[in-house]
Amino acid sequence: MTVPRVAALVVVLALAALPAVLSSYAVTVFIFIFFYAYLGQAWNLLGGYAGQLSAGHAAFVGLGAYTAAMLSMTLGLTPWVGMFVGGALAAALGALIAYLGFRFGLRGFYFVLLTVAFAEIGRIVALNTDAVGGALGLYITFTGNPRQFQFQDNRAYYYVALVMMLAATALVAALERRRFGEYLKAIREDENACEALGVDTFRYKLLAMVLSSFLTGVGGTFYAYYLFSLQPNAVFGIPLSVEIMIRPIVGGAGTALGPVLGSFILSPLGELSRVYLSQGAWSGLHLIVYGVLLIVVVLFFPQGAYPTLLKLGGSMSRSSPKPPHRI
Amino acid sequence: MDLTLVGQGLLSGVLFGGVYSLMAVGLTLIFGVMRVVNFAHGDMMVWGMYLAWMLATRAGIDPYVGFPVCAAVLFTLGWAVQRGLVHRIVDAPHEMQILLMLGVALVLENAALVAFGPDPQRVRSPLTASTLWLGPLFVDVGRLVTFGVALALTGALWVFLGHTDLGRRIRAASDNPYGALVIGTDVGRVYAIAFGIGAACVGAAGALVSPILPFQPAGGLSLSVASFNIVIIGGMGSLLGAFVGGLLVSVAESLGAVFLAPSMKELVSFSLLIVILLLRPAGLFGRRAA
Amino acid sequence: MTGRRPSSPVSRRTVLRGAAAGAAVLGFPLPLRAQAPVIKIGAVHPVTGPLAEPGQACRLGATMAVEAVNAAGGIKAMGGTKLELIVGDTQTKPDVGRTEAERVINQGAQILMGSFDSGSTAAMVPVAQQRRVPFLVDIAAADPITANVAKAVKEGQQKVQYVYRNFPTGSSFGARAVRYFTEIFAESGVAPKRVVLMYCNDLFGQNAAKGFQAGYAAAKPAWEIVDVIPWPEPPQDLSTEVSRAKAARPDIIAPITRPASAQLLLPELRKQRVEVMGIVGPGSPGLYEAGQLAVLKDDLEYVMSAVPWANFKNPRTQKVAEDYFKRSGGKTFDTNSGYSYDGIFVIADALERAKSADADTVADAIKKTHYTAGLMQYAGPVIFNELGDNPNAVTTMIQILGQKPVAVWPKEAAVQKLVFPRPKR
Repeated sequence: MTVPRVAALVVVLALAALPAVLSSYAVTVFIFIFFYAYLGQAWNLLGGYAGQLSAGHAAFVGLGAYTAAMLSMTLGLTPWVGMFVGGALAAALGALIAYLGFRFGLRGFYFVLLTVAFAEIGRIVALNTDAVGGALGLYITFTGNPRQFQFQDNRAYYYVALVMMLAATALVAALERRRFGEYLKAIREDENACEALGVDTFRYKLLAMVLSSFLTGVGGTFYAYYLFSLQPNAVFGIPLSVEIMIRPIVGGAGTALGPVLGSFILSPLGELSRVYLSQGAWSGLHLIVYGVLLIVVVLFFPQGAYPTLLKLGGSMSRSSPKPPHRI
Repeated sequence: MDLTLVGQGLLSGVLFGGVYSLMAVGLTLIFGVMRVVNFAHGDMMVWGMYLAWMLATRAGIDPYVGFPVCAAVLFTLGWAVQRGLVHRIVDAPHEMQILLMLGVALVLENAALVAFGPDPQRVRSPLTASTLWLGPLFVDVGRLVTFGVALALTGALWVFLGHTDLGRRIRAASDNPYGALVIGTDVGRVYAIAFGIGAACVGAAGALVSPILPFQPAGGLSLSVASFNIVIIGGMGSLLGAFVGGLLVSVAESLGAVFLAPSMKELVSFSLLIVILLLRPAGLFGRRAA
Repeated sequence: MTGRRPSSPVSRRTVLRGAAAGAAVLGFPLPLRAQAPVIKIGAVHPVTGPLAEPGQACRLGATMAVEAVNAAGGIKAMGGTKLELIVGDTQTKPDVGRTEAERVINQGAQILMGSFDSGSTAAMVPVAQQRRVPFLVDIAAADPITANVAKAVKEGQQKVQYVYRNFPTGSSFGARAVRYFTEIFAESGVAPKRVVLMYCNDLFGQNAAKGFQAGYAAAKPAWEIVDVIPWPEPPQDLSTEVSRAKAARPDIIAPITRPASAQLLLPELRKQRVEVMGIVGPGSPGLYEAGQLAVLKDDLEYVMSAVPWANFKNPRTQKVAEDYFKRSGGKTFDTNSGYSYDGIFVIADALERAKSADADTVADAIKKTHYTAGLMQYAGPVIFNELGDNPNAVTTMIQILGQKPVAVWPKEAAVQKLVFPRPKR
């Protein structure tokens, strides 16, 4: 086994053992680290590897969450199955957006706006549709019943989130080494050249989006059954899309470990700055710190934390990621 | 169908379009010149509003008089942001730029929260209390004035960009930065000035709408999204596009409120956005992005 | 205006507390159930973000109440044990709400209170049920928050209900508002026919509007809702909506607003010369707060709204309101600060009867509450029904008279006589 593989195994085992010594509060913090890393990893496929930025991924979270919740509440379908239905619907929406966007040749900022527009439309529709609760949203009864994807013990959620994050990361790492991953990276570097060489860029970008949106939709179910309420503004909103995007970008877009590292940096940071700095008259100060940190990372570590760390560590790893060119 | 209602909807839509246009002009300038998407746009505008509020409450200066001051302060802010931050990543990938401006937005929004508190504010101006009546239709004087100023400012910008030396250099640098460098233009300085002007526009916009719209620190995000909508529909980088786009979006939303459920009026503008993105991403008046 | 005087952000106490928290985070859970000399209550509210204004009011209300309880001798049945508040900030986000609930419990909170917005509150419910921590919802209107827990207990999926709510539920707002409308019209001897309902299309507004319409359908009053006009919140422009309202020839405008939309709506109604007998709100923020009065001034005069309100006939309320005015930099003691204040006292009362901090004992004591010393306007003592809600938590019709919000209906709550129809300008 190579050194990185051993290191990875050690880390995974350590993470698996942690809940035995952590308080429930720390377990919750880790759950969100894993969960947002998972969502970020799903985003990474499209935004990092394929280089197609989406600022509307919350739409898939929302669609997946509402689907699973509605199926459970009206048909009694267990969310363990509902999550895949939600993922499938999210994938269908992703295919639609990708089809429209890529068929009409939208790139860069224009594609970003298209994703935002769809997410906002999703939000407004959910807000105005009484059948899914309208603005009040959906409230899920806490039963702690595992058959309903709920657990009485917080630590069970920890393991679910950990498995989700690891599975997504393993998937992305595997895809990275295959032709699919190479094509995506090539498209990101220079889409025109790829087309000139006869690569069906449309098909690969579409596939990336479908996979990305499917995974995100599945994640929506976790959201629903950990937070127990779905409101259109929270679950379709731009702030959630931002949370999803930020981690891979800060950690290293287009690398398998980027979203994970990004989540491990940003979540604790957000936590610490809220706990220490949100007292009384200075409430809001912690978000200023968050903003300043973002600026600092962008200015001084633009490729993200992971590639920077690799460089610092005198990397000898196979593929040192190059910064994606402007589209 | 109640014709008065439709007529009023149209009229209100056109007048409020002046507000939208003013918001969009600054954004389109910044994007048109240096392809930077200013995600902090809405938050800069909120600061323009708070500056106007401070002038009105501390110094008794009416925002319709004091807006140049707000513009000047925002100019400095924009210039500093460009020079100090954006300039360093002008060649970096899009994500970095977006993230940077998001960081700036976070800082601006929460600095406003710390400084002014979370309550919504509004500036009182004698102009906004009055209305003109044209038969059954009414005209809000405050919005009429804002419309007029928006028109004047857009016109002034057009003249500036088209007929002054500095304006021409800005356009040259936006069309072809390397070419501009070759002929000796200090592209960095030009960019900084352009960003400053864009920010000044949005600062003036904020000041001028502060008597019309209630504002609070958290409002920046929705203003940013609305502005992007307008600029895309009108055409990125086109002043005329920003102006017409503002009118169009406002009228569409207003008529949407008349005919559909008013809470769905945002649906109209987003649907319009998607249609434009797909059929004519350059917008109505924009050039195709290079 | 609000005077803001920030104190030093990072004091030594903060650092020490932070260090202790850090140690706790790393996994040494503090002993929770020992008979400590202090009982810690975790008060989690949205003190930053879009709901910062009411969130900060809640936190201040809770803080003042804890001080009052301690000053009066603490929990006497437990030998004078004092209360301590551990505060949290949900940032109006459900995931943060959940994390904050866990954090305050980790720091020793044995009882939870919060959290204003229904999303964060719903996210905290599982924490209360998982960790067995009694949770008194001081403010949050969404019916399912308590109803779902009651259902789970009834179906045997959960053993004990730990979540209780001392606040009117969303569905009760509407029915009561309809009643007040009819009663006020009768009292004033006028018969308005046409009511136009206008509301902000967000969680609160939609819920309140639906409740009002449901109450209207059930009561079948002599007046009629002739048009229903929602707007996206926050709005940038309401001129078209107001034009539509005017076209419906209303006798009454019934607005459900947020502070931002109220600042747009009321001047617009005046500018478009919408002549009505009165502006009577079924119940919403934005129509009575000090900040709103400062901005809207005359536009708010004679406006009515059916909101949960403090009982100003109670001299204790007056005293607390004066203190609150000073400490908050000029704000009114209202729904938010008031219910958080009462919430602490309800918890203290339960502790007196429970004589222990054990979760199940406290939950049981809360269930059996019969508290009469609340500062808010109730229709009876504070009690909890089978869903965990207080059916006596009701709204009061207040009116802005002389630029001050005062209770005007029902008669037993009225501090001044109501003015309806409003005088012509």
